[in-house]
Amino acid sequence: MTCKICNREAVGKYCELHERAYRNIVKKYDVWGSALNLSWEEYLNDVAKNPYTGSWAREVAEHLTKSGVAEGHESN
Amino acid sequence: MEKYTLIITEKPDAAQRIAQALDHKGKPKKIEEKGVPYFLAHRDRKLVVVPALGHLYTVVHERGGRNYYPVFSFKWAPRYVAERDAEQTRKWIEVISKLAGNAEGFIDSCDYDLEGSLIGYCILRYACENKESVAKRMKFSTLTKSELEKAYEEPLSQLDFALIEAGKTRHEVDWLYGVNLSRALTLAAKRWSGRYATLSTGRVQGPTLRFLVSRETEIRCFVPTPYWSIRAEVEIRGSTYEVEYERKKINRKIEADAVVEECRGKTGEVKCIDVKKFQQAPPTPFDLGSLQTEAYGLFKYTPRQTGNIAERLYLEALISYPRTSSQKLPPVINYKAILSALSKEAVYKDLASELLEREELKPNEGKKEDPAHPAVYPTGNLPERALSEPEKRVWDLIVRRFMAVFGEPAVKQSMRANIEVNGHHFYLRGRRVLKEGWTRFYKPYIRTEEVLLPPIKEGETILLRKVIVEDKFTNPPPRYNPGSLLKKMEEEEIGTKATRADIIETLYGRRYITEERILVTDLGFDVVEVLRKYCPGVISVKLTRDLEEKMEQIQRNSEKRENVLVEAVERLKPMLEELKKKEETIGQALSEAIKRARMQERIIGTCPSCGTGELMILYSRKTKKRFIGCTNYFKGLCETSFPLPQRGTVKPARRNCRACGWPIVQVRMRARRPWMLCFNPDCPRKEPRS
Repeated sequence: MTCKICNREAVGKYCELHERAYRNIVKKYDVWGSALNLSWEEYLNDVAKNPYTGSWAREVAEHLTKSGVAEGHESN
Repeated sequence: MEKYTLIITEKPDAAQRIAQALDHKGKPKKIEEKGVPYFLAHRDRKLVVVPALGHLYTVVHERGGRNYYPVFSFKWAPRYVAERDAEQTRKWIEVISKLAGNAEGFIDSCDYDLEGSLIGYCILRYACENKESVAKRMKFSTLTKSELEKAYEEPLSQLDFALIEAGKTRHEVDWLYGVNLSRALTLAAKRWSGRYATLSTGRVQGPTLRFLVSRETEIRCFVPTPYWSIRAEVEIRGSTYEVEYERKKINRKIEADAVVEECRGKTGEVKCIDVKKFQQAPPTPFDLGSLQTEAYGLFKYTPRQTGNIAERLYLEALISYPRTSSQKLPPVINYKAILSALSKEAVYKDLASELLEREELKPNEGKKEDPAHPAVYPTGNLPERALSEPEKRVWDLIVRRFMAVFGEPAVKQSMRANIEVNGHHFYLRGRRVLKEGWTRFYKPYIRTEEVLLPPIKEGETILLRKVIVEDKFTNPPPRYNPGSLLKKMEEEEIGTKATRADIIETLYGRRYITEERILVTDLGFDVVEVLRKYCPGVISVKLTRDLEEKMEQIQRNSEKRENVLVEAVERLKPMLEELKKKEETIGQALSEAIKRARMQERIIGTCPSCGTGELMILYSRKTKKRFIGCTNYFKGLCETSFPLPQRGTVKPARRNCRACGWPIVQVRMRARRPWMLCFNPDCPRKEPRS
């Protein structure tokens, strides 16, 4: 199986590197949510646009937005 | 023919300086044979001073070609046997061998460290036919006349064999790791793709690349966290001052807004003023690593550039031997004599004279020691030629640092006024220098900004003129640069002072990393990934540190070279077996990474026409000509293309045209200066040559 984003070898949907970025995104949602009261979709949108977001985290956020996956349903 | 003593040096410049110092008239005769220079000098006897060209011998496999692994049998052989670009070493070895035939005495005067000792030993053993046991050793830390004369008059009775054994072991272990692992990676990729690309890794290269990959992963996976901070200003006697809110980070916007609401337009009261006096100790003398880090921070010279500049300054007898890990300056170097000599240079006159007036000079030494050499210091000699700008800067830095270590501590004062506004605390901070101390000597290289506060008293009422909320995000960790990476290698105790800078350059050369603020390429990621999966020991800091420790034990005579080599082979064997077993998978992963890296190198920037594709250097299958095209062409979305010069090489310049903002390319042609080309046909002005 290959990563949905980069075609590297994957165990689930993502390769090890994008999976790590995905886990970071899920982990930080609580902080963003309590600070700004955002929905999961709004949060992903903000993360994807933020200039400090790492390139893999941005790719995962964009992929999640496009595929319309709800929080916690993408994990490997 | 008159017999003579043959003195072997590491490099031609050192040979000339040693011959000049030892010749009773200071005018040795220079002779050239087959393009190899050597010097005839007369002192108590006839002396022939012959230079090497760095290492003339290296480790090679005992037999067989380059296209297989594992290889565990090796021998020492002339470099021209192993390296295609080392043909000139043949003539050097021939000339040295001939000179050795008529010599009655031998002195090794190569640099007194691991590499220098090994260079001298190999020449004495192989080129001079087993003279290593009768040779004497000159030991010196500067190439000044007085020190060289002393080293000649009082040589060590024999070579430092423990140091030589450690040097041999280091080269042999590094060869075993480097050759086997690099071949495993290169051959795996070649067998899969049919195309050759040099891939390498090694005992120190692997862990260093791993540091970079781990930092790069953190940066690429980084998700920023929002937070808010309060920015406020107070007005005191008609002037405005910025103040800090008691909490630097506020996690919820609603809380930050509440602070602003409660403080806006209010006055506050100075509750207390804390004044603290503190001392800043002088810096420690430079060892090579701290010199390289400082030169990178101040001048952006890479560690290798600084190393090369320092070596040139050493060969001109302007500074002591730079490849040292010592932070100590023993009194025997004669501080006063050096300062007195430096005071002849107008720019150092006042500062050096000030130090000379003191009864006692005591340097602020660091903890690190080096049994062979003291810290880097100026010899006191002044340049005999006009130094280049980088040489001037590095020499000045070394001179000023030398003076600064004798300075008194700087005394500074910090002040903090606590202003309470409606239950919230704001801090007004100031700092000033009470006594410059050592900073006077190091002035151009240290910045001390003073922030003076207005005269205020406790209980005074102060108006909060402005208070606003600022939206902020946490930042990813910083990227390494060559200076900070070198520091990290030092902290992790991997590599040696002589090899660290070269390893960083190799990582650039192999295209594992790019840019000054280091970015790891896909190829770098994949190499670490392969090593992590199939031979994690190679990227383990612990393994390489253990080996470093063993080599230091050899130097202290408490470990044997043979044991270390056997252990290295035992560790390597299972790794190589695993690599061989998985050769196909590894080859595929690496080949794809190489392909991606090659593609990446051809990408110029975003397509200005469609805005979504990327402009790339492409080759027409039909005409075989190169041009710039948009990657969206392959999806049928964009047909943008631009012609390119067909001669020379073209590569992305990684910057945009100053006039039109389009990405530009760099064109290089033989016998011409490279130039920047803006391929925008409508560019208001073409990029001038740079």
